[in-house]
Amino acid sequence: MSENMDRLDNLLNAKSIALIGASRDEKSVGYGILMNLTQGCAEKFYCNYSKPFQGSVFAVNPKADEILGKKCYKSILEINEEIDLGIIAVPAPAVISIVKDCIKKKVRALIVISSGFAEYNEEGKKMQKEISEIVKKAGIPLVGPNCLGILNPLNNMNASFAPGIPPAGGITFISQSGALADSIIDWSIEERYGFRAIVTYGNKADVDETDFLEYFGQDKDTKAIALYVEGINNGRKFMEVAKKVSKKKPVIILKSGRTEKGMHAVSSHTGSLAGSYEVYKAAFKQSGIIIADTVEELFDIAITLSNQPACGKNVGIITNAGGPGVLCADYCETIGLNVVGIKESTLQKLEKTGLMHPAYSRANPLDIVGDALPERYEAAINTLMAEPYIDGIIVIQTLQTMTDPLKDAEIVVAARKKFPDKPVLCVYMGGKFSKEGVRILKENGVPDFNDLKKAVSAMKFLSERKEWIDKK
Amino acid sequence: MRNINQKEAFEILKKNKIHAVKTYAAKNEKELLKIFKDIRKPVALKIISEDIVHKSDSGCLKININDEKSAVSAYKEIINNAKKQKAKIEGILIQEMTKGNETIIGVKKDPQFGNVIAFGLGGIFVEVMKDVSLRVCPINKKDAEEMISEIKGKKILEGYRGGKPANKKDIIDILVKVSDMVEKNPKIMELDLNPVIVNEKSATVVDARILYE
Repeated sequence: MSENMDRLDNLLNAKSIALIGASRDEKSVGYGILMNLTQGCAEKFYCNYSKPFQGSVFAVNPKADEILGKKCYKSILEINEEIDLGIIAVPAPAVISIVKDCIKKKVRALIVISSGFAEYNEEGKKMQKEISEIVKKAGIPLVGPNCLGILNPLNNMNASFAPGIPPAGGITFISQSGALADSIIDWSIEERYGFRAIVTYGNKADVDETDFLEYFGQDKDTKAIALYVEGINNGRKFMEVAKKVSKKKPVIILKSGRTEKGMHAVSSHTGSLAGSYEVYKAAFKQSGIIIADTVEELFDIAITLSNQPACGKNVGIITNAGGPGVLCADYCETIGLNVVGIKESTLQKLEKTGLMHPAYSRANPLDIVGDALPERYEAAINTLMAEPYIDGIIVIQTLQTMTDPLKDAEIVVAARKKFPDKPVLCVYMGGKFSKEGVRILKENGVPDFNDLKKAVSAMKFLSERKEWIDKK
Repeated sequence: MRNINQKEAFEILKKNKIHAVKTYAAKNEKELLKIFKDIRKPVALKIISEDIVHKSDSGCLKININDEKSAVSAYKEIINNAKKQKAKIEGILIQEMTKGNETIIGVKKDPQFGNVIAFGLGGIFVEVMKDVSLRVCPINKKDAEEMISEIKGKKILEGYRGGKPANKKDIIDILVKVSDMVEKNPKIMELDLNPVIVNEKSATVVDARILYE
């Protein structure tokens, strides 16, 4: 393990945590973090995924005796046990002396939640610089200041003031913005989408996006890495690390501060320099990083790439609806995917099943007609998936009186398992009565999109991923 | 920081084996005529001066010169125009002329990523349509190839209405060599090869501006 890996391991896999700035005020950050450490979430945001941290938690507050059943220490130096991770949530001017105490206590890693540093004013900038020098000299990693904290669902560590903890899964989200992470957590609980880790780094006085990228690049539990970035300090170093990581696993990025107004907003948000977006785009592309345009797209791609294999450009479309099939073909061709011609031999196989409608399209998109029952979907999906010249398929379903969205979903899931080297993406067009089918798809790692264009775009990203992996 | 003069700029390109148009320098009329005798016509005459960046706007560039008489009068005119601007004059550049599509290759230093190389079609394509592709240096042949295929106007280079496709291999060669050159010389702050003329036979740098620290 490299030095960086060892260092950051103390952050992600801490066994004992001290919260300096634990508070009795239920509306405060210091209370919220203690709640998250001891229960996993804020009381009003309780859900099945909320569990107390598996290690030990210590609260530091010189004015209180006990908060949330935890004894309060006057200073971190009063704690007898070893502390792996110190979380600092005190007003900015007090942070430097607390950091020094933590170093004295031989804490192995630090998170500074407090704001009021480089993003705020000149004095804050100076304090941040001093903190950065202190921890660099001491050789311990510091995340923040001005950040939300870190969440590791694998050991129930919610070292943040996020509303709760997301389900465990394969995506690691590295975010310069904390609030963006919060909204993603709420969304992931609703959608039951899992995270390996969520880390926010704010002003990055010490640990930055490149350190985290390197760490999670080597982390066996991370299947895909999603990043939200405002500015990168050392672009060359970032590219060097990203090139290596992206050969092993998908890296997707959402960059803000693309316009002049946006760039200005970045400097007052996290004190970063946004830089020219065109140059960033070139750098990301050269490093094998996939560029997302919206928050939704960032996670659509991350979910797709973490669950589906990369593939070539020859797409098969199976649909029980003519119009959506045509639209889907249009999107494919426009974006640079190939709606591959279906061979006569494939048609023979389809017809041999005896399940095709007499008026089925006999072409790609394969329109199996509105009255398609699950058996017909099954025949079509299995036949197309088995053809070596088809790299991946998109399954479109619209609801007619006889349509069975649940069974259709089970068929797709079974096909996905039978052909693990080929991706299948779904577009269940509808709402209320498609919902249960969509749930089955998602729970089994088959991405479903509420719009054709999004599914096509996801397929395109799978083919870009393959191009990058194959690129010498 | 200073713009090095055209003569030096072409010498640097030559040293780095970057294909440029045949270029000679003359300090006076006599030298000009001596060079003129042997060079392939028509030729272009340009001022050599660090002070003049926009040569055609200031009347310090004359093209399509076929005979001695026009060469001498163009020479006088350029020197006069340069004097009017109180520019420091270091002589005149005599260049062969080449036909084809105008492209641009540029390098700028980005505060986060360092040298960034750009490629685009010349004229309105770059200025109005912002049709350029970028890469962080250093780049390899594959990157350079992608840069060419990324620009929206790439069809112009592929040959249209019966035109022959441009020599892509030569463009790739210049892009890679420019990238290597700026990475090796951190003192080069900015570089503009504008235009680089491309045709079916070759890609050739016709004008170069290099900004040194």
